[in-house]
Amino acid sequence: MTSMFGEPIARVEDDRLLRGEGAYLDDLGHDALAAAFVRSPHAHAVIRDIDVSGALDAAGLVAIYTHEDLPGRVGEPLPLLIPHPALTHGRTGYPLAAAEVNHVGEPVVMVVATDRYLAEDAAERIVVDYDPLPAVVGVDAARAAEHLVHPDVPGNVAAHLVQANGDAAAAVAAAPHRLELDLYIERSASTPLEGRGVLARWDTESRRLRIWTSTQTSTGVRAAVAAKLGLALADVDVITPDVGGGFGVKIVHPWPEEVLVPWAAMTLGRPVKFTEDRSEHFVASAHERGQRHQVRVGFDDDGRILGLDVTFWHDNGAYIPYGVIVPIITSTQLLGPYKPGAYRVEFSSLYTNTVIVTPYRGAGRPQGAFVMERTMDAIAAELDLDRTLVRERNFIQPGEMPYDHGLIFQDGRPLIYDSGDYPAALARLKGLIGWDEFEAVRRAARAEGRRVGIGLACYVEGTGVGPYEGAHVVVETSGKVRVATGLTSQGQGHQTVFAQIAADELGVPITDVEVVTGDTRAFGYAVGTFASRAAVMSGSAVALAARAARAKAIRVAAAALEASPDDMEIVDGVVRVKGDPGSGIALGTVAVLSNPLRYAFDEAARAATQFVGGDLSTPPVAEGDEPGIEGREYFSPVRSTFASGMHAAIVETDPDTAEVKVLRYCVVHDCGTLINPRIVEGQIHGGVAQGVGGALYEKMAYDETGQLQNASFMDFLMPYVSEVPERIEIDHLETPSPLNPLGIKGAGEAGVIPGSAVIAAAIEDAEGFPITSMPISPSDLFELRRRHAASGETANASQTASVNRAG
Amino acid sequence: MEFLRPESLGEALAARAAHPEAVPLAGGTDVMVELNFARRRPAALLDLTRVGELTGWHADGGTVRVGAGVTYAELTGERASGGQTALGRLLPGLAMAARTVGSPQIRNRGTIGGNLGSASPAGDCHPVLLASGASVEAASVRGRRQVPIDDFFTGVKRNALAPDELITAVLVPAPGGPEQFAKIGTRNAMVIAVAAFAIVLDPVRRRVGTGIGSAAPTPVRAVAAERLLAGALAGDGLWESRGPLPEQVVTEFGQAVSAAASPIDDVRGTAGYRKQALAVLASRTLGWAWRDYRAAGQQAGRG
Ligand SMILES: Cc1cc2nc3c(=O)[nH]c(=O)nc-3n(C[C@H](O)[C@H](O)[C@H](O)COP(=O)(O)OP(=O)(O)OC[C@H]3O[C@@H](n4cnc5c(N)ncnc54)[C@H](O)[C@@H]3O)c2cc1C
Repeated sequence: MTSMFGEPIARVEDDRLLRGEGAYLDDLGHDALAAAFVRSPHAHAVIRDIDVSGALDAAGLVAIYTHEDLPGRVGEPLPLLIPHPALTHGRTGYPLAAAEVNHVGEPVVMVVATDRYLAEDAAERIVVDYDPLPAVVGVDAARAAEHLVHPDVPGNVAAHLVQANGDAAAAVAAAPHRLELDLYIERSASTPLEGRGVLARWDTESRRLRIWTSTQTSTGVRAAVAAKLGLALADVDVITPDVGGGFGVKIVHPWPEEVLVPWAAMTLGRPVKFTEDRSEHFVASAHERGQRHQVRVGFDDDGRILGLDVTFWHDNGAYIPYGVIVPIITSTQLLGPYKPGAYRVEFSSLYTNTVIVTPYRGAGRPQGAFVMERTMDAIAAELDLDRTLVRERNFIQPGEMPYDHGLIFQDGRPLIYDSGDYPAALARLKGLIGWDEFEAVRRAARAEGRRVGIGLACYVEGTGVGPYEGAHVVVETSGKVRVATGLTSQGQGHQTVFAQIAADELGVPITDVEVVTGDTRAFGYAVGTFASRAAVMSGSAVALAARAARAKAIRVAAAALEASPDDMEIVDGVVRVKGDPGSGIALGTVAVLSNPLRYAFDEAARAATQFVGGDLSTPPVAEGDEPGIEGREYFSPVRSTFASGMHAAIVETDPDTAEVKVLRYCVVHDCGTLINPRIVEGQIHGGVAQGVGGALYEKMAYDETGQLQNASFMDFLMPYVSEVPERIEIDHLETPSPLNPLGIKGAGEAGVIPGSAVIAAAIEDAEGFPITSMPISPSDLFELRRRHAASGETANASQTASVNRAG
Repeated sequence: MEFLRPESLGEALAARAAHPEAVPLAGGTDVMVELNFARRRPAALLDLTRVGELTGWHADGGTVRVGAGVTYAELTGERASGGQTALGRLLPGLAMAARTVGSPQIRNRGTIGGNLGSASPAGDCHPVLLASGASVEAASVRGRRQVPIDDFFTGVKRNALAPDELITAVLVPAPGGPEQFAKIGTRNAMVIAVAAFAIVLDPVRRRVGTGIGSAAPTPVRAVAAERLLAGALAGDGLWESRGPLPEQVVTEFGQAVSAAASPIDDVRGTAGYRKQALAVLASRTLGWAWRDYRAAGQQAGRG
């Protein structure tokens, strides 16, 4: 049997999903009542009155709830999930607004009816009287603090944090060269194709609650709902059905609806379901990315950074349930593969009257990479050096691993890179895209009247954050292996890779392995799927649990065969003496043998009887032993493991229409040991597509009153296949992580991280003026050209400066 | 919500007269979006999909009569219409515009009548219809009339239909020369255009037709640009010689088209960008149309 680990096998999920046999939240609960919400049309307002009288005789109406109807903890503000000492003014929303609304889309009234149409019809008849207040929209308005989002939060500042390693200000001041940059990234959003959704059933007989929710953390939702509703954890099951994408937005728990729907189901004694529609998703879930950054950098004649001093402002929206994870990640991961002489970073996380922020794939890293990589390009331009050379000179060298940045990372642990080889990655990337040959490409294009540019960007990504994940592996008497881990899946292929790991560890065919994720009935302790942690955390736990099950199987089989466990192996699902295919016992039979209570229900049980001997002087289950071939193990690493990568792109900009086309996109990617290269490449493809979207198409166009102008897929432009480069050229580097048993690092978010940075660099190279704000539309580029043409000479000067000089 | 389902044009017009509040429904690709966004809650819908008289097309002398229910897929020739696929070849400008619409699904449902019914400044048929001097055939229980396309668009998403009228067909002069259509969007497909432009050259009548989309409250013609180009072509004897177009004519034409637009800033682009885009579209489409005209001349010369 060939090893499954490392094989690019096709995803076991796909057959079912491609046949339309997936079961997403809205495919469930056809008998359930439907919930709809009256949401705030104002970005900021006081609620004066809610008049539901007009809706009371609406057809199919079952119940209407406002804040006042919610008892005890149900109506209280939602939890602040991740407190932090820097988060001095944490505010969270109510499940249903109490007295004030702070963004368009905030839920105010919940309507339950026999179906969604009738629920919406009833909701339309409810009249809410608002007293509008001035809205705070965008980073700049929040900083100016002319108006406050929360009257008791001065300056709109939720959190303020400074971290430093060395005296960056002094290093900048003393450096032979200095630059200042103002860099901005606009808001965007995860926009999974399936929005949020939750279904709850209260079993009036067993008095237990069962919840299905489209979440990235079923255990998190379970704990939150149990606490809110005053139920024992053991009386709440949370099951994650197929999830049509999460990308971060579904890590928040509980969403208002995740409290309200279960509560309504309990109160009404009938199943209740909420399925978020697309319009709601734009204004009632979460966004990310909005940040303005100010960089002061000092460097020597070779481009080595002596001091880097970054201040930035993060737009966290109306509330901050997820804490300051995103700006903390930006502030630490901004460093990428580099080692500035001294570093200081300071951020303020600001309230605005817009949708809340949760991590969106990349989670603050795209902004960090944009800041660092734009800075690298600016240094290269200033010194008239090749952009790759400047990077090379600032790299942490492989010999310096593990590398301690002297900062604290998102998990509250030291920012120490475990492994990586950045010079090797850069060399591969230059080869892949033909960096040194690009001037010839540029000349040839120019001769045809075409304008092209090349850019690159590097990143390092802390993946697999703790604290832990666990797994349970059971060998059934049929010989099938059931693997359960509590962490959820959003379609990444967890079933496949966990099965690959378990199959290899146990020596069974992969078709005999079945994987369950995100179901608290199967595994109760888990953290969730985010931070590119599934493979590292649950993958490692599955390996450890499978090893435990294997050891047990070998012990039981060895006893039956009167052989030494050290001489045993498991091949193709048969436990046997090494090299002696005739000697074996099928794993299923071993499972029967492991359980002294043995009814002859099946073939395996009958087969096992021949091996039964036994010492009648000892208990049937020896002390310290237990029946069954099972393994239950937890993996808890000391720190995150740091994946890395570098992207390069060649773009063409239309001299007349300012349209931008990505001609080539190359990726060198290092996520340690690869479990399944096909799945990793799939993750990269998806990430690059999202990166292109973030760079060229997607943004949240709020007007100054806090109305989202592009709140539909008509105007929020996700990239189609027609926008993503035809071929994404990928090369893998594998520097194993020393921090886990499989040597793996996370791969889920990587593809998106350098997207804006690399495309900005390539456009800058094509156009000859600095690109400091992303995303960039043709209209934006056109306006930039006009501005630079107007300032004539400056444009020419910067053109020469930022042109790539190879060799 | 009431759902009216006439089986014939007569029934449809009677229903239209009896229920002026009923919203006509053809492919539904605009109507359903509006219902979904709760922008519209009509008391009744008037389903036109069973009205056979609105489907199909026929060419009659110098005019092609395209039924209001003809879909984009029929205009492109992707799908047969009345058993024929020749429509795309007969009206190449409309076919080009139709090819840029939405996705295959939208092209299968969306109709030319619905495009005119919505009368959006971004409707892709409109620039071509303006450029080719088409007219819209409207009918009611009171009778039938033809509305010249120049009089059809009366305001933002408003048209010249009376409350009891339905669009039955579009009458398009069969082209005597090259036609081109192009648009610029913020993405390559499935997007509301930033600007669109159509040009029709009619060497027989020595006429230049233009149509601008997405850059004014209604679709508009660039009349001054038409005159400028027609003058240049006639003055230099270019209709006859089919000689190369002077660069300056192309540039001035682009500028004149741009000047005819009165765009706004919105999430898709600034007014300045739209003007620039129009100038580019006008110059490019003129270049392509003239190239086609010259190539046709060479073929004729050879044949
Ligand atoms: C995803 C998507 C992409 C799109 N892309 C494009 C695009 O690229 N270019 C473009 O131009 N449009 C686009 N549209 C808009 C739409 O498809 C077109 O405007 C289409 O032509 C509408 O035709 P319909 O048959 O679907 O009209 P419907 O939605 O049925 O009707 C549209 C309007 O016309 C009225 N109407 C329909 N038929 C008649 C009639 N016979 N007489 C009187 N009034 C009538 C209706 O009452 C309604 O007001 C897109 C729409 C969607 C949803």
